[in-house]
Amino acid sequence: MHSSARAAVAVGLGLSGIVAVTAFAQRGAAPAMAPPRGIQAEVTARIVTAAQGVLATLDDAGRAKVQFPFEGPQKTRWSNLPSGIFQRQGLRIGDLTPPQRAAVTNLLSVALSRDGYRKVTDIMRGDEVLRTEQSGRGRAAPQGGGGGRGRGGPGGGVAFGEAEYYLAFLGTPSVTAPWMLQFGGHHLAINLTLAGSQATMAPSLPAAQPAAYTVEGRTVRPLGNENDKAFALINALNSEQRGQAILGSRVADLVLGAGQDGRTIQPEGVRAATLPAAQQTMLVDLAREWVGIMNDAFAEPRMAEIRANLPNTYFAWSGPTTNGSAAYFRIQGPTLVIEYAPQNGVDHIHTIYRDPTNDYGAKFARK
Amino acid sequence: MAQSSRASKGAAFLIGAASVALGTGVSAHRLDEYLQTARIAILPDRAHVELDLTPGVAVADRVVQRIDKDGDGALSVEERQTYARQVLSVTELRVDGTPLQTTLVAAHFPDVEAVKRGEGTIRIDVDVVVPLLTAGRHQLLFRNANDPDSAVYLANALMPENDRISIARQVRDAVQRELTIDFDVRGTQTLSPGESLFLGLAGAAVLLLPLLRRGQRMRKIRADR
Repeated sequence: MHSSARAAVAVGLGLSGIVAVTAFAQRGAAPAMAPPRGIQAEVTARIVTAAQGVLATLDDAGRAKVQFPFEGPQKTRWSNLPSGIFQRQGLRIGDLTPPQRAAVTNLLSVALSRDGYRKVTDIMRGDEVLRTEQSGRGRAAPQGGGGGRGRGGPGGGVAFGEAEYYLAFLGTPSVTAPWMLQFGGHHLAINLTLAGSQATMAPSLPAAQPAAYTVEGRTVRPLGNENDKAFALINALNSEQRGQAILGSRVADLVLGAGQDGRTIQPEGVRAATLPAAQQTMLVDLAREWVGIMNDAFAEPRMAEIRANLPNTYFAWSGPTTNGSAAYFRIQGPTLVIEYAPQNGVDHIHTIYRDPTNDYGAKFARK
Repeated sequence: MAQSSRASKGAAFLIGAASVALGTGVSAHRLDEYLQTARIAILPDRAHVELDLTPGVAVADRVVQRIDKDGDGALSVEERQTYARQVLSVTELRVDGTPLQTTLVAAHFPDVEAVKRGEGTIRIDVDVVVPLLTAGRHQLLFRNANDPDSAVYLANALMPENDRISIARQVRDAVQRELTIDFDVRGTQTLSPGESLFLGLAGAAVLLLPLLRRGQRMRKIRADR
């Protein structure tokens, strides 16, 4: 890897390492059953405290940048695209002072699970690797780093990399009223809606380019588990099940990516009800890679819904079944749609997680 | 052959130029392809098709030139409508083998610069009146032949929102240019409680009206006496 890329990654690792230790101490292994509501309320309180910690580091201008109404256009203003092509609003990470950045990092580590936090930072680090490697080739996307010069925006060119991620609060962080934590940039959109003791992170878009990179001799694959578990599942099916799962056409992109809110396509593929218990477990475990990005206390109730709806959940596949190939897959049930779509090869992956019944916490608002 | 070689060299140059301009991080965002996504909703008496057209940056100029007939750099309402109709003229919709007439409901065009950057999506909404369908299995065929040289197609049926319709099967060709949807129509529409109450009251009114009129006549006769 290019030396400047290594340096950038090392800084990122150092910062996230401190928080990762804290996050590790906060969480154990994923529980098998939904935790009591008291634990969820406690986690909400911790997230609210961390969000208030971010606000406390900001001046009035910073608070105005990060705060949006709960109901408004900001809710659906997210994308996989880099700045310059898609203009985000909110607090730009590259514009923050070290204490402000530490407060944001702390918030993410509390709001997300340990694995989810690692996934998010791996995606961001991968984007930094992409930016730095392109700088090395002399055709970089302009980047402001910490200073914000030359960054993307209308007329400002395309920008991405670790500095080009944005935080926004929709509504006031509260332990009772609904509010939303939005964090995203190139190849990442996390939309975490909290309503008292409940939360959902649908819709969210974790993606990756490069799909694999090296840091200090260690290979990082931000979406490696998703890829490997899916290939393991398709290869665990017998020929009849596989015949039902595999679609006879190329699926070149996400069907329900950014901008497709409120739409539900007809499910296709093999129905989970027809699979043996072991393969059903593999399917649930695969879905957890997305749902489990948020704090375990909130992921478990969503996973319980997914398990309860498993008989009406489908697994569809398009492409070769040998791991290392570019293949699209989709998991679709009453409370989830997950898509994994390689873009012209295996090194650039787009994915989406949606809940047709509860995107942006719609179900919480109805209660 | 020489021509096709020049064409591929030209395309390669465009892709290369776009990569330099935008960076390869963006280059993987579908540079030389024209993404065409169709979503089809089936109702008992009609179908609705949403067509999203997103030209990649290397093919965007060509698409813009096709829309911007007078070449003034702006996409007039007339030019937009003409392009939308042109797209519809090469899409085909059939139910049970019978070709259906499409009606352009709306055509949304993004800023022309967004299209040229390869990130503008043109949305065309189409309504199709479906002939009265009997209960049982039917088949809808959708075929998109718009700009086939650079196209990447996606075509999907939306989950039916009407409980009389259920999708049985979707079959596509290898590149999703063509989608066949087998769907079932259930018998006559069941009434909601509100509709039942309304019809009940209306029926009662029809029955009671002559009695009320007769009562009025009797009262009038008695009063006249």
